[in-house]
Amino acid sequence: MTEHENRSPLPFPPSEQALAEPVPEDLRAAQVARLRSAWARPKGWRYWSSVNSSQVGKWYCLTALFFMLCAGVMALIIRLQLAVPENDLISADRFNQLFTMHGSAMMFLFAVPMFEAISLFLLPALLGARDMSFPRLSAFGYWCFLIGGVFVLSSILFDVAPRAGWFMYPPLATQDEGPGSDIWLLGLSFIEIASLAAAVELIVGVLKCRAPGMRVNLMPLYAWYVLVVGGMILFAFPPLIAGDLLFELERSLDWPFFDPTRGGDPMLWQHLFWIFGHPEVYIVFLPSIAITAMVIPTVARRPIVGYSWIVLSAVGVGFLSFGLWVHHMFTTGLPSLSLGFFSAASEAVVIPTGIQLFAFLATLMVGRVTMSLPLLWITGALAVFTLGGLTGVMLAIAPFDFQVHDTYFIVAHLHYTLFGGMIFPVIAGVYYFFPFFRKRMLSPRLGRWAFWLIFSGFNLCFLPMHLTGLLGMPRRVYTYSSGLGWEALNLTSTVGAFVIAAGFAVFVWDLLRPRRNQPDAPRNPWNAGTLEWAHDIPVEDWGVRSIPYVTSRYPLWQQPKLLQRMDQGRYYLPDSDEGARETLVTSVIDAKPVLIQRLTGPSWIPLVAAIFTGGCFIFPTFGLYWPAILCGLLAGGAILIWLWTATARPPRQAEKDAGLGLSLPTYASGPDSVGWWAIWITMLGDATAFSSILFGFFFYWTAQAQFPPPGAAHADGVAVAVAALALIASWALVVLARRTNRLQRVGRARAALITSTLCAGTGALALALAVWPLDPTAHVYPAIVCTIALWIGVHTVLGMVMQLYCLAGSLTGKLTPHHDADLGNVTLFWNFLALSSLAACAVIGIAPRLL
Amino acid sequence: MTQEPHPHSDKHEFRAEALSLWRITFAPATWALHFVLCYALVSLSCIHGTPPVAITRSALILATLAALAVIALLGWRSYRHWAPGRTGRLTHPYGTPEHRHHFLGHAAFLLAIISAIGVVFVALPLLVIGGCQ
Ligand code: HEM
Ligand SMILES: [Cu+2]
Repeated sequence: MTEHENRSPLPFPPSEQALAEPVPEDLRAAQVARLRSAWARPKGWRYWSSVNSSQVGKWYCLTALFFMLCAGVMALIIRLQLAVPENDLISADRFNQLFTMHGSAMMFLFAVPMFEAISLFLLPALLGARDMSFPRLSAFGYWCFLIGGVFVLSSILFDVAPRAGWFMYPPLATQDEGPGSDIWLLGLSFIEIASLAAAVELIVGVLKCRAPGMRVNLMPLYAWYVLVVGGMILFAFPPLIAGDLLFELERSLDWPFFDPTRGGDPMLWQHLFWIFGHPEVYIVFLPSIAITAMVIPTVARRPIVGYSWIVLSAVGVGFLSFGLWVHHMFTTGLPSLSLGFFSAASEAVVIPTGIQLFAFLATLMVGRVTMSLPLLWITGALAVFTLGGLTGVMLAIAPFDFQVHDTYFIVAHLHYTLFGGMIFPVIAGVYYFFPFFRKRMLSPRLGRWAFWLIFSGFNLCFLPMHLTGLLGMPRRVYTYSSGLGWEALNLTSTVGAFVIAAGFAVFVWDLLRPRRNQPDAPRNPWNAGTLEWAHDIPVEDWGVRSIPYVTSRYPLWQQPKLLQRMDQGRYYLPDSDEGARETLVTSVIDAKPVLIQRLTGPSWIPLVAAIFTGGCFIFPTFGLYWPAILCGLLAGGAILIWLWTATARPPRQAEKDAGLGLSLPTYASGPDSVGWWAIWITMLGDATAFSSILFGFFFYWTAQAQFPPPGAAHADGVAVAVAALALIASWALVVLARRTNRLQRVGRARAALITSTLCAGTGALALALAVWPLDPTAHVYPAIVCTIALWIGVHTVLGMVMQLYCLAGSLTGKLTPHHDADLGNVTLFWNFLALSSLAACAVIGIAPRLL
Repeated sequence: MTQEPHPHSDKHEFRAEALSLWRITFAPATWALHFVLCYALVSLSCIHGTPPVAITRSALILATLAALAVIALLGWRSYRHWAPGRTGRLTHPYGTPEHRHHFLGHAAFLLAIISAIGVVFVALPLLVIGGCQ
């Protein structure tokens, strides 16, 4: 059937006539009452069971801000120690802990989470949705972030914090005594997983939760950036998680991945870390550009110039930034030709970055600019970032980098890029969006004070550092002797740091001070054109009163009747007839309505699941493995209960009225459903992590003359072959189960599911037997083979749980021939698992015999 | 405000469009492949000595030409898809299937250009640096 035939009976797009139809007064009042009660936020201590993105987004932002302030205080202590030569304010060991935690907390607990927090808060409103599609997942991610962040940060209070620098190079970090490195590895992996969860939520939100009619060419630029940054998180974090896994295996089980005496190679960590680390810089930077892209059209009072150009450069930067990582490794003795590639690629990425800035300048030039506080911060950002960019171009030239590597020149460069590319634009965003977040205005006077304090303090602190670095002062030294010409420069930097702190104090006070007596902000204080300014004042928790039909990029400017119609409930889903939370799911490209999605409401289960997941990561840092395993099982149980009770339940009515004469299904499986997309995206990240481990295998092969070492024992060939066959059989049976179930042959489907579980079990067992005789502590070759087998084994066990989950669903009526979303998602998981098992079996079974 | 699309354009466009979000990424993906190939082959040559650097260099220069050809092809196709000459439009701000269609073409075209620049930049060291040193 073609698209056109299948659409003509639907009353979409809505006719002008249907839109003009008024809603009777009493019906409207009843709708408002029902919506309000469906979306009411829980009272009292139950407030903390909230899951909707406006609450969770607020907690997320405040927590990230708190972590940032903690990291800032650490920076102040660092600067105090360095204010004068031969200072003994703190010990060398404390100093190491402080700069490691300062860097790690700023990057992992502030920069990335802050983007996700702001996006979670903003995105539903920008897209005209009621909420994102997985509210409980956001809440789970938030609680993981809070638990992990508090755990990692508080280690410094007990003098056991990690102390090998924010990139934890082995062998320093592998051989470091005490739990410091483990706290870093496990605590931050835990947070990275939460970041991935948030990325999945945001990507699915942009793809599937846009207001009807909001085609890809109408999406607010911010949403494009969310898509790009989410995608980058998906490909950048997994290599780091894989690296963390190898690292932790070395620290706790003595598998020698980074130990050269047994064939390991510390360079592998550097590769994995920087494959993550460089894109991370752009993951931090692009959201700020996104904020700028929202502020600029508003202050210029016209649509953005060069929309396609900006989208292109965002996607282009996203890609190119993955080809730059070796520029952090210029001094590691790689062949000069290889260095050349990365040096050149580092220069190329400047082009798309520049295009975005020029598009913004062009918009400002052709518009009628009104100066406002957000614009002031953005101007500051531009000035600071340009300087950081210039030193960056200098550093990308390998010989220059040889000269200043590991000196204060780097510290100056990285803070110029981070302040210009992150701190200033985010504060601009806070000033701009605050009336949306809090329904009040921030003080322009305090804002100007904060700006000038932070701006001048920043330059006072970091500009001299360029010179300190050129004069030879290394970074990460806890003190220095006098007479080297560094004294005045360092003292200036310290004074500057405290001026920055004063600026932040003003800003945070303005942000958090009580506002009971302050009047409400105007609804659209900046006269912006995008949908978030259709918010309700005073605040309502339902997101939007009715979900609009969008036909332009700046609906509030270009669709004059839109706001009034939204408020009067003349668009989609103006009601909550079953008293449940719902939003519209639309198609990926053209945003045609496809589904009314039931959303989950307040619940404690995300918190419970997060606590146990936390235990599973935190206990091993103290060598307590049994409690960790117990927590892992409990976390798994909690997640199963959560999925079972709240997702993909067959609805009471198959179709419902969505308003404007449109009737939509209430259940979907496969690509129409949001769950399927979430699995797809998650598995993409998972596959990236697995590829990183395989990359490790081939890395050892290219980097060593003899890999596998001559005479090494291999994984048992027959057992590997059996494993491959059994796992493929299991996958085929899952596919078969889905087919037969669709064809109403429920009995056969159940039989296929049971057999597939048995096959999967056989496969996992065979794989375990294949590597059983190997000794992973002896050499890196058996170690990496065992890791690959372990990876597949764990995934197979997960896959078996999923198969049994579907079986249970089928037996209890949750999963029927028409309601088979779970089975669709499990099939998708198994598609990925089948591919990765084949790859794994080829690498451990065949490759070593060929190499 | 609510333009019903042309019944005919819609039919064939939907099929073209189902893939177009992906197609946007093809040119950068070519860049990525080229990049990985350069990096992997040079590492092999410089550490294992097989294949010899001179051969790797020439092979990679050929690969660069091939990558550029692929990107040029993709760029040409997306240019036709964008069709600024035919429609006379350089921007696509409206909520119609035509605008969405041309927008995706435009973005893909621009990305092809960026990818080509990326490939050229990555290949420059092949021309100016002789060996492993
Ligand atoms: C109050 C503002 C800040 C001050 C005064 C400050 C100061 C410093 C100093 C002095 C160092 C060098 C420590 C050493 O090498 O011995 C440092 C390192 C670092 N800073 Fe900051 N910083 C500030 C804000 C930030 C922000 C906002 C970020 C990121 C978003 C950041 C990220 C880093 C990183 C990643 C390092 C490297 C840590 C390492 O060497 O492992 N800093 N900072
Ligand atoms: Cu970098």
